[in-house]
Amino acid sequence: MEGVAMKLPSFKSLAPTAISVASTFSIRRSFSFARRSSSLSAATITADSEPVSLGHRARKDFRILHQEVNGSKLVYLDSAATSQKPAAVLEALQTYYEFYNSNVHRGIHYLSAKATDEFELARKKVARFINASDSREIVFTRNATEAINLVAYSWGLSNLKPGDEVILTVAEHHSCIVPWQIVSQKTGAVLKFVTLNEDETPDIDMLREMISEKTKLVAVHHVSNVLASSLPIEEIVVWAHEVGAKVLVDACQSVPHMVVDVQKLNADFLVASSHKMCGPTGIGFLYGKSDLLLAMPPFLGGGEMISDVFLDHSTYAEPPSRFEAGTPAIGEAIALGAACDYLSDIGMPKIHEYEVELAKYLYETLASVPDVRIYGPRPSESVQRAALCSFNVEGLHPTDLATFLDQQHGVAIRSGHHCAQPLHRYLGVNASARASLYFYNTKEDVDSFIVALADTVSFFNSFK
Amino acid sequence: MAASMSSSCCLSSLRLIPFNRTFFSSVNPPSKNLILRPIPSFLRTIVTFQKIPTGIISPLSASSSPSSSLDLQPIEELPPKLQEIVKLFQSVQEPKAKYEQLLFYGKNLKPLDSRFKTRENKVEGCVSQVWVRAFFDEERNVVYEADSDSVLTKGLAALLVNGLSGRPVTEILRVTPDFAVLLGLQQSLTPSRNNGFLNMLKLMQKKALSLEVKAEEGTSESTMEEASVVEVGLDSEPPSVVEVEESESVSKIVALGSRGMRIREKLEKELNPVELEVEDVSYQHAGHAAVRGSAGADGETHFNLRVVSDAFQGKSLVKRHRMVYDLLQEELQSGLHALSIVAKTPAEV
Repeated sequence: MEGVAMKLPSFKSLAPTAISVASTFSIRRSFSFARRSSSLSAATITADSEPVSLGHRARKDFRILHQEVNGSKLVYLDSAATSQKPAAVLEALQTYYEFYNSNVHRGIHYLSAKATDEFELARKKVARFINASDSREIVFTRNATEAINLVAYSWGLSNLKPGDEVILTVAEHHSCIVPWQIVSQKTGAVLKFVTLNEDETPDIDMLREMISEKTKLVAVHHVSNVLASSLPIEEIVVWAHEVGAKVLVDACQSVPHMVVDVQKLNADFLVASSHKMCGPTGIGFLYGKSDLLLAMPPFLGGGEMISDVFLDHSTYAEPPSRFEAGTPAIGEAIALGAACDYLSDIGMPKIHEYEVELAKYLYETLASVPDVRIYGPRPSESVQRAALCSFNVEGLHPTDLATFLDQQHGVAIRSGHHCAQPLHRYLGVNASARASLYFYNTKEDVDSFIVALADTVSFFNSFK
Repeated sequence: MAASMSSSCCLSSLRLIPFNRTFFSSVNPPSKNLILRPIPSFLRTIVTFQKIPTGIISPLSASSSPSSSLDLQPIEELPPKLQEIVKLFQSVQEPKAKYEQLLFYGKNLKPLDSRFKTRENKVEGCVSQVWVRAFFDEERNVVYEADSDSVLTKGLAALLVNGLSGRPVTEILRVTPDFAVLLGLQQSLTPSRNNGFLNMLKLMQKKALSLEVKAEEGTSESTMEEASVVEVGLDSEPPSVVEVEESESVSKIVALGSRGMRIREKLEKELNPVELEVEDVSYQHAGHAAVRGSAGADGETHFNLRVVSDAFQGKSLVKRHRMVYDLLQEELQSGLHALSIVAKTPAEV
């Protein structure tokens, strides 16, 4: 029996042989608040009875991937910069604006109540996605960068004293370096940086040794956007808490790709951006433990975050509202909730499993190209890389590489410092190229990339 | 404002200010002030120039947005070699072949000695490094040398070097970036790369202008000796390598315009200072609405003053500032907007 064109929540329990949804552009205009995004059934068999990879199945939900650029099929390998959005997320955003757009929290009328319900439901979805114990521990921000700034200005300014130490790594994204520089200048705190070991991963032993009584905060990435390495957050949290220090986790590259459980990690703060996890831009979130958020002063002032306002002073609301001044990105938050649903329907463990395989394939094929130097650790039994590779080709500037790949082959990679200038300086390079994958990429994408890369290298070599 | 500036063909102070927009991100109305010309944010160098003799048109006011092909600078206005290059690229249709042509130019570019790969010679850009050097030959034509670590960018640099080298300053300054469209490279090259191209051109034009200015100053009788600060890297004998001043030290290298000189003279005459520093910081305020419309706008509107004089003995801070203001009444009424004054007695220093 052929798949149904429109998948409705009530049919979710259909027999596993039901074929997955191909028509992702069906327009569903219903007011059901418990509506779930279109999902992919777990074990989908095509008419040929050959198992199709997650990438192949997922691609169908992403219209943007089916286009030509510069005369070639688009091969999008820049998901670490931003992910593509499935139709379900776009629909959620459109539906919000078309049917119940209204300002939240303040209104009495019907539309406003609906909008508020959906907005707060999205908050719950995010909380559930990272297993936060309470949705009030989720503060919506513009993106992860703003979330880190929130912690820096709100928690940092009121907790850091001269001589206090903040531990970072040289591999941090600028958003987890610059706010701390600003705040440490204001408070007299000192920044300390963990460097890399010979595997080109942050040196955990060095990190452990750096943690001392003076440490007040450890702010590190979960997964590096350049090195593809991950840090053992659980252990780091244990060490930090031993000395009474807090831990902030930059989970931008982990939350979209694997199961992240904040209770298990026991992190004090965790940040992520929606646009890297199939959600729209303009929204991100900060997870903070309740007792920490309760003790923090406001970041931005305005409406929503207040309790009572007088001419000469105001009292503030409880978290998370305390940190959400002004009208939020309502539609975007709701769409982020839809993204959480979409990803959960596939299952984060499944996504992660698929990506681990793809990561290995990418690394191996890329490493086999002569004169290619990939940064970060080699994948092994104990080391799992994220599905991205930052690399350089001997004698070829990454920008030339990326330009040619785009112009002649439609392959989209990134070149530059990837917002990690200190890391590039440490590695001794000006810039690197980076190919990054997501669950909607396939082995064929990797193959196209490698073929294009070989062609590019030989083109430029012929001019040497 | 820009119209009146260009029609007078006289630049009193050309201040290029970093601005967070790409050069062609919008069609710029001709009424926009020269000072406010948007420049990609990664071009950080601020340059201040003295009064320049007529005949030189600012490259910025002459350029226009390439968005409408009708408005493109006609190819005949380009230097002859550049015209040739444009025609060559126009004849090559296929993008890949254009790349090959570009790389060919780059390969044949005379290498730049590494001692010229300095910050002053660097075209600011995010991803690849480009250096440009300019100097006069015996006939006061500008000669360029350039290099880049990216071969495509090197090709672009080679285009410009080949197209503009050996030409007089006026001709170089007349070139607008429109020809990049004529090359057909905009399609072949990503926008950010293209901006690097525009920046290269602008830097080359700026260096040409700077060469001209330095040459003029070297030959003209000027009151430069009275300037309170020293020019870095100034070599008044052409040909020489000329460094474009870095923004951080601009305030120390600004030569005073006529108002600045008048201020200096007045204060020296009336206050007999032990120490006197007159610093023109008008460029920092160029965005003010008041500045734009100020009469006698030679752009000298804001100054930092440091005066150490016995004349301030026994006077309160307010009185001291009053003194300075009173002496400079005329200037204040003719376009001087603000003074930041440090007034001390010799004992207080």
